[in-house]
Amino acid sequence: MYQYDTIDKAMLADRSSEFRGQVARRLAGDLTEDQFKPLRLMNGLYLQLHAYMLRVAIPYGSLNPTQLRKLAEIGRIYDKGYGHFTTRTNLQFHWIKLADTPDILDHLASVDMHAIQTSGNCIRNTTTDPYAGATAEEVDDPRVWAEAIRQWSTFHPEFSFLPRKFKIAITAAPKDRTAARVHDIGLVLKRARDGALGFEVIVGGGMGRTPYVGPTIKEFLPVNRLLSYLEAVLRVYNRHGRRDNIYKARIKILVAALGKDEFASQVEAEWAKIGEIADLPDTELARIRGAFAAANFEVLPAQSEAFEAAKASTPAFARFVRNNVKPHKKSGYGIVEISLKGIGDTPGDATSEQMEVVADLAEQYGLSDIRVTHEQNLVLPHVKLDDLPTVWAGLRDAGIGTPNINLISDIIACPGLDYCALANARAIPIAQHIAEKFRDQDRAEKIGELKIKISGCINACGHHHVGHIGILGVDKKGEEFYQLTLGGSGAEDASVGSMLGPALPYEKVADAVDTLVEVYLRERQGDERFLDTFRRTGVTPFKEAVYADAH
Amino acid sequence: MKALTANRLTDGDVVFWTAGQWVERFADAQLWADDDPAAVEAEAAGKNQPKIVVDAYLIDLIESEGLWAPISYRERIRALGPTNHLHHGKQAEGGAMIEALQHAHGAARSTGRVNLIKRK
Repeated sequence: MYQYDTIDKAMLADRSSEFRGQVARRLAGDLTEDQFKPLRLMNGLYLQLHAYMLRVAIPYGSLNPTQLRKLAEIGRIYDKGYGHFTTRTNLQFHWIKLADTPDILDHLASVDMHAIQTSGNCIRNTTTDPYAGATAEEVDDPRVWAEAIRQWSTFHPEFSFLPRKFKIAITAAPKDRTAARVHDIGLVLKRARDGALGFEVIVGGGMGRTPYVGPTIKEFLPVNRLLSYLEAVLRVYNRHGRRDNIYKARIKILVAALGKDEFASQVEAEWAKIGEIADLPDTELARIRGAFAAANFEVLPAQSEAFEAAKASTPAFARFVRNNVKPHKKSGYGIVEISLKGIGDTPGDATSEQMEVVADLAEQYGLSDIRVTHEQNLVLPHVKLDDLPTVWAGLRDAGIGTPNINLISDIIACPGLDYCALANARAIPIAQHIAEKFRDQDRAEKIGELKIKISGCINACGHHHVGHIGILGVDKKGEEFYQLTLGGSGAEDASVGSMLGPALPYEKVADAVDTLVEVYLRERQGDERFLDTFRRTGVTPFKEAVYADAH
Repeated sequence: MKALTANRLTDGDVVFWTAGQWVERFADAQLWADDDPAAVEAEAAGKNQPKIVVDAYLIDLIESEGLWAPISYRERIRALGPTNHLHHGKQAEGGAMIEALQHAHGAARSTGRVNLIKRK
């Protein structure tokens, strides 16, 4: 893991101290709310329905046990004993007091954490593959590049007041676990035939009210030219992005308006002017890379007797392994996904006690490495198969052993109208109703991979556009209604879902999902996922079934 | 009927206006008839307290179980707390007013908030 140096630590201390002064001036009336709001947002502090919400940055979703324990402690002291992991792999506290916030920033700084780049029109937290450093699929460790982007983008004076927020995702594996194609910039690390590493650069994807799968504007960018190229993209955006209309201010609108070829040529021209001076020096890249050197893996046999015996004797453990444990690049190890989607629970929520259990398990059995996924789950990337029965038992006892990764109850949901000042409708209870309906784990496994994503407003924090089933909450004359979309994907086969039909009332949504699943099971051929069946049949059979029931 | 609401500056808590003071429980809120100019005067007074509250605005009410409840779903959630954690927020206290809010049905945004959004 990357370690902050004395400069990083001093910067965080200064930031916290600065915010303490700003809060004091606001409370004394020396700053108006209009003056203070942009300052608090630069420190991740929002005013929501019931309280302030503090969004804590978790750069590229990477945590050590000390940091996770600190988040648990903050949750216990300053919130109601829990936190909420987000689709940007950050963590939000929903019950924060303004006057406490400077102390919380001090707590965070004590473990090299902060709330920088979690709000405002800057480059937000760069996300990457939660399996980085653990999966055999990757051509390089994407955290190296995510950390380089973090250092480059933090407090970057030219890119702190962009037309709108800006999100970058990096995947180094062909299986995209980052939703790269629906980001402002998606970077896909590839290795050329001659062994050289480069990025496929995708620009202008996004969700919100105008969803786009981003076009590729450069097929192969040599990795050592990354920062200068990003600077060129951001500079073209900063120059021409729409500042007159917040709904047209994201880079996707500019790319669509110019066309990808014209946008790409403007970037090339800017890039030529910038030159190599803006790139990361090799020595600095080597320093960063050193922080992500391979962990001290033991040489282990591919088979673990303890693991096989537990699978054979304990069906619940075998089910957990089938769904939540993924192949590791080193024999004798596994990647463990921890579902924060307990049936009936709030997606993405973890109690302070659960965070501490995960921290303890990571320390004892997981090389002190913890990741957050954009699907609002956690990952222990390096667990010995020998230790898996013990890790599973620990998770199960803490209520976070739900074996449902990528299944129908592994739902992304934004906080929605239960918390968010922008929301039009609730998202969490819809997720809870659907999960309850598919509580039967045998049925859930029979259905297989099915990604449901729910947003409480068109801003699409719940990624509904790229859900196999997407659910968007809308306000119809003050009542909650839900628009369903089908066929979206945030993965390497990215697509924006298409609308099923008229919006449904709150109490009809879970039943409608049930109907969609029944149609899928009826129409499915071979090993098709829900998404594959939908893409083959089109919307008609699904639409007929849902609206036949609705009427 | 109308009531005046805001979020308290220090902790963001939802508060309601009553006789020149901000109180935490909707049950204690001062209510005005729709055409009572005192409501608008109170809103102006509330907006003039930037060291105490943020974003003061009037909300519309409807009758529910013999009591008055915010007409918009959003305002009922503010007055109660999140529906996924029934022990969080003001609803934890329970009582007749909380139940009336939980059972209320209404289907309109509050005019005061619409005005607030337009102004922004």
